[in-house]
Amino acid sequence: MAAPTDKITADRPEGAPVVDFDLSTHNSMESSNAAWDALRTTAPVAWSDDNGGAWIVSSYDAVTEAFRNTDAFKSGRAVRGRPGPGGDPGLMPMNAVPAKTTSLMIPEELDAPLWHPYRRVFANLLSPRGVEALRPRITYWVTKLLDDVIESGHCDIVETLTSGVPGAVILEWLGFPEEDWHRLSAAFHNMSSYIEGAPDAQHYLDELEWAFQRIREEVTVVRAEPRDDITSFLANTVVDGERTSYEFATGMVNMAMSGGVDTTTSVASAAFVHLHRYPEDRQRLIDDPELIDSAVEEFLRVYPPARTHGRTVVEDTEIGGFTLRKDDRLIISEVSACRDEAAFPDAEKFVIDRFPNRHVAFGIGPHRCPGSHVARAMFKEMLVQVLERIPDYRIVEDELDEYPNWTALGGWSRAPITFTPGTRRL
Amino acid sequence: MRIHVQADRCQGHARCLAEAPEVFQLNELGYNTTDVDDVRPELQTKARRGVLSCPELALTIVED
Repeated sequence: MAAPTDKITADRPEGAPVVDFDLSTHNSMESSNAAWDALRTTAPVAWSDDNGGAWIVSSYDAVTEAFRNTDAFKSGRAVRGRPGPGGDPGLMPMNAVPAKTTSLMIPEELDAPLWHPYRRVFANLLSPRGVEALRPRITYWVTKLLDDVIESGHCDIVETLTSGVPGAVILEWLGFPEEDWHRLSAAFHNMSSYIEGAPDAQHYLDELEWAFQRIREEVTVVRAEPRDDITSFLANTVVDGERTSYEFATGMVNMAMSGGVDTTTSVASAAFVHLHRYPEDRQRLIDDPELIDSAVEEFLRVYPPARTHGRTVVEDTEIGGFTLRKDDRLIISEVSACRDEAAFPDAEKFVIDRFPNRHVAFGIGPHRCPGSHVARAMFKEMLVQVLERIPDYRIVEDELDEYPNWTALGGWSRAPITFTPGTRRL
Repeated sequence: MRIHVQADRCQGHARCLAEAPEVFQLNELGYNTTDVDDVRPELQTKARRGVLSCPELALTIVED
């Protein structure tokens, strides 16, 4: 919680409000959200000695300002003051707090100018027009995976649909063999939610390492002999007339897979839990399907998958009246910005037709999630088909499992449902 | 009614396109770089929604 602390570190900046804010202690959405609300309303820009010592930026205005200032706040993997690929892997942009090493993510962990050509590759592939090419596959996989369970009257909607659909769509697009899909999806899904020191943590880390190993193997194969798939396209990216390095090629596929397979899962699972708990919202969407587009945005605002990101300060820069010093780390909270009353009246309420809804669930500024359009397309198709085909589903509450860790990502590990059996479409 | 695009602010969220596909055009990378010279009266409500939806505040309405 945001309470004064007596701990002293040499790093602590003079004059900054010092709070005790350990992100990793929050093991439920409710407690994590409450902590962010308390912090934001008392100290929207604050210093915490936790998490290795870092600024925490939590108001909508400060968050959007920080994300947009890519000259001062860098995304490159860093030791303090030395951002850039090849730095100490402990501090990564997607891990606000020091975390286990994972493979490089391109372009998320690059800064301009190196970032530009790699961002262009993803922007082009995943533009609204690019996503149109994927739409038939999205419809197919939602239909097929619902078909697989619809006659039974029960399933785990996370495994079947919200994890299953992004896994199938993204891994098919990338060209990974179907026998790998389930294990790869599970590896990223479990990585999002493991707790350091928990009994199964080592297993999840081993599985994640296996996933990165599979990526390295496929990249090696398609750099020697390209196939007609996105892994081949990414792995053979040409920048300034030369094919990119093997390290960057794997980094691009790492990014596409880890960004693609489990993030949409988080918000879609949250939406199905929400519609179980708030039947009046479910009924409104059934009665008026035109509300689905605004509902998608409001689900994103209220249940943003990525809750925080980290950056490194490379030049002294003022935010919210305080000077963030060169070499400081900062933690930027998307979830807190999305809950800021100053930007969203009645922010604590789910308002199905909220407008405008300039949420930051996909981040903001140049590093805005380039997969947002495909994420929205997958999420919307899941919502549409569930409300059409199994509109009376109920969640088995006592078997519902939240992620045990709401630091960087939030979500549901498991959400068993029952429903009136329906008919297959394929 | 015209709409001015601050192209250096656009980050490709494409919320303008979602609100008013008849009004806004994105380039091949999904970014909006083109001012809209004349919004037809029947599209002005949708166009205003597109402007208000931009999370980067990249769009401004210029009334004639």
